[in-house]
Amino acid sequence: MTDTRPQPCTVRVRALAPLLAALCLFVPAASLAQGIPTEPLVVGVVVPVATGDPLADAVAKSAADGAVMADDEFAFNAEMLGIDFSVITRQASGADAVVAAAEELVAEGAYVVAGGFSLEEAAALAAWSAEAGVPYLNVGSSADALRQEQCQPTTLHIEPSAAMYLDSLAGWYVRSGFRDWFFVRGSDAESSRQLQRVQRGLRERHFGARSVGDVAVEPGGDLGQAVDRVRRSGADLVLLLLPADEQLRVLAALEEAGVQAEVTGFPYPEAQTRAFYQASREAAPRLGAGHRASAWEATLDAYGARELNARFRQFFGGQPMEAPAWAVYQAVKLAYEAAFFGGGTDVESVLTYLEAPTTVFDVWKGIGTTFRPWDGQLRQSLYLVKVSETETDPFTLVTLVGELPAIYMPGTDPVERLDQIGDLAAASSCRR
Amino acid sequence: MRTRRASNWRVAAVALATALTAGAALAQDAYRLYVANEYSADITVIDTATNEVIKTLTISGRPGEVRPRGMAVSPDGRTIYVSVSDFNPQIETPEDKIVAIDVETSEIVGEFRAGGNPERVAVSPDGTQIWAALEAIAQGAGYDIATGEQLANFRVGVEAEGVAVSPDGKWVYITAEATHTVTVVDRENLEVVKHFLVGNRPRVVEFSNDGTRAYVSAEIGGTISVVDTSTHTVIQTINLGLDSRPVEIAVDPTSDRIYVAGGGTSAVYVIDTSTNEIVATIREQMGRRPWGIAITPDGSTVYTADGLSDSVSVIDTECLCVVDRIEAGRGAHSAEIGVIPDGQ
Repeated sequence: MTDTRPQPCTVRVRALAPLLAALCLFVPAASLAQGIPTEPLVVGVVVPVATGDPLADAVAKSAADGAVMADDEFAFNAEMLGIDFSVITRQASGADAVVAAAEELVAEGAYVVAGGFSLEEAAALAAWSAEAGVPYLNVGSSADALRQEQCQPTTLHIEPSAAMYLDSLAGWYVRSGFRDWFFVRGSDAESSRQLQRVQRGLRERHFGARSVGDVAVEPGGDLGQAVDRVRRSGADLVLLLLPADEQLRVLAALEEAGVQAEVTGFPYPEAQTRAFYQASREAAPRLGAGHRASAWEATLDAYGARELNARFRQFFGGQPMEAPAWAVYQAVKLAYEAAFFGGGTDVESVLTYLEAPTTVFDVWKGIGTTFRPWDGQLRQSLYLVKVSETETDPFTLVTLVGELPAIYMPGTDPVERLDQIGDLAAASSCRR
Repeated sequence: MRTRRASNWRVAAVALATALTAGAALAQDAYRLYVANEYSADITVIDTATNEVIKTLTISGRPGEVRPRGMAVSPDGRTIYVSVSDFNPQIETPEDKIVAIDVETSEIVGEFRAGGNPERVAVSPDGTQIWAALEAIAQGAGYDIATGEQLANFRVGVEAEGVAVSPDGKWVYITAEATHTVTVVDRENLEVVKHFLVGNRPRVVEFSNDGTRAYVSAEIGGTISVVDTSTHTVIQTINLGLDSRPVEIAVDPTSDRIYVAGGGTSAVYVIDTSTNEIVATIREQMGRRPWGIAITPDGSTVYTADGLSDSVSVIDTECLCVVDRIEAGRGAHSAEIGVIPDGQ
């Protein structure tokens, strides 16, 4: 597909760079107010359908709750400024269904659509977005394919990429002394890609750590051979590159076999929920109470996160704000800011604003974030949590134990700081 | 009361600076610096003539549970008003209040209920009202000091933070972090007249000495919005850098300068408001994460509350250099300067 959108202003007017730089230093702020649209503003969110599966339903509920809170807060604020703003949601699962839902949302006035909680859904929404000329914010799929060969010019990713999660896990575990890594992967392409990426990360960035083996398992299939391979590998860390429910099955099998290695898994949205952490501990009381990576943590207590998490808990009767809720909330916030600061709700205005290197977002992670120009990925730090072996309160079921990259590093450039994780431009095949 | 303490740390520049500014030092004798310590739940009181800690006002015997943050000093210097809350922003507790403390007796002489995590507070120039930003409930509220009654409360943006009253007493500006807004309250008619957008995650607002401008720091945006107070519109945005994380602002009463505490870079940015250009950035020997900042009325000395080093950095405004460091309580958050009460 041909990208007919204008590029960010810094690229389009490169010849005027010095003047532009001066303007960036002293932005005539009146221009901010002049661009505020007067028509009603609608952001559309596609959330998963509840199916009865506790892990999938935890994601569906969290995402829906994030949309509800974002609607409440940003409609409230827009009303102060004399603007009618709302968030409307559709429940849909599967590639065709989410596209149909997105079309309905646009028919109801949405100028941005957020959603996509699997590679298939996000890829379908991204392709639809480019075709329809509607900005799409990916809030649930970390698949690197979406940031590489399947990237689309009208898609931006709030959900961290697989490369970011894997680099963070490598950073944490290698520094903690885990040197021999074994990988249990699925038989699907996404899982194989994750394996290649994490192995490349270990080879190129984390000297001293090595892969001591990998094995593929089929969904619901026999795990005997995989468990035996893990036991014989001598690994001190086992990384499960599997869907959340398969991670639970393998955890239980490894625990039963008496495996002593630390075990963690890829943080799919389902695997970043309290429901998963609880199930993990129940499936494997010892191995399932390990460390997990997450895009957001309800107990994060700095950078204003205390206030955001507290408001969410109060809004939803004590429920912790989990990663899907955070991602949807931020998607709405960024769409809101694009309308208010970007000068319009047409696709060009919204994307030009969101993609501009001078546009900085506050996503309650304590550092101004921007989208990477080469693949549309939101730069951000990630978190490491430890699952409690005994805690029963859902809020304190996990303890926040790490942040990567660490954001308090005065004297370093914040963009370079955040680009310590994920694929840089040289590793990107995306041509936006 | 804690034992009076001050650091012995001095740099060679102190002697020189002291000699050069001997006259100013005499004038400083009339001021007290107050530093709110978020984690030790107390207020450090410093004599600006000597830069010695002269007392510590205890806000609560439960440090780590009760947190003082924003402060304001009455025009006569007799009373400081302190925003007090707990660490759970959403649950209203008895700690959510503004306390008035007689600075000489250290007694709490008044309390104003302020449900919803009051973060910062301002006192009107005539000393009759205080105004607070209530962070958890997205409101700004005014209180009559004499009666203790709440005069009014207004809806503002989400995560209300900073508050200031204009020098002529006409306007109250209240910032909101999550929604990048400033709400303008007409103080006489007790009504909201405007909301407007500023930089990303606005923290603190301060008015210029003549009241024609207001300056709003934006922590994540790394900017200072310059506001024309006749129209309540942003007329210029000064970029301090993405990682500067500006918070409190001190307006020099004697010149066109404002001083901005850059928490992210452990720096103080000096801005000439006649050009809105950064004329100096003070980094050397600064304490870590300066969050609060205040300037003496004679414009000679700036103090920063350094949250990660539990200290106060003392800056001479002639050399624009750090000349002293004073030990504060844990989690130094904000800084205010007041005159010494008459007859004390």
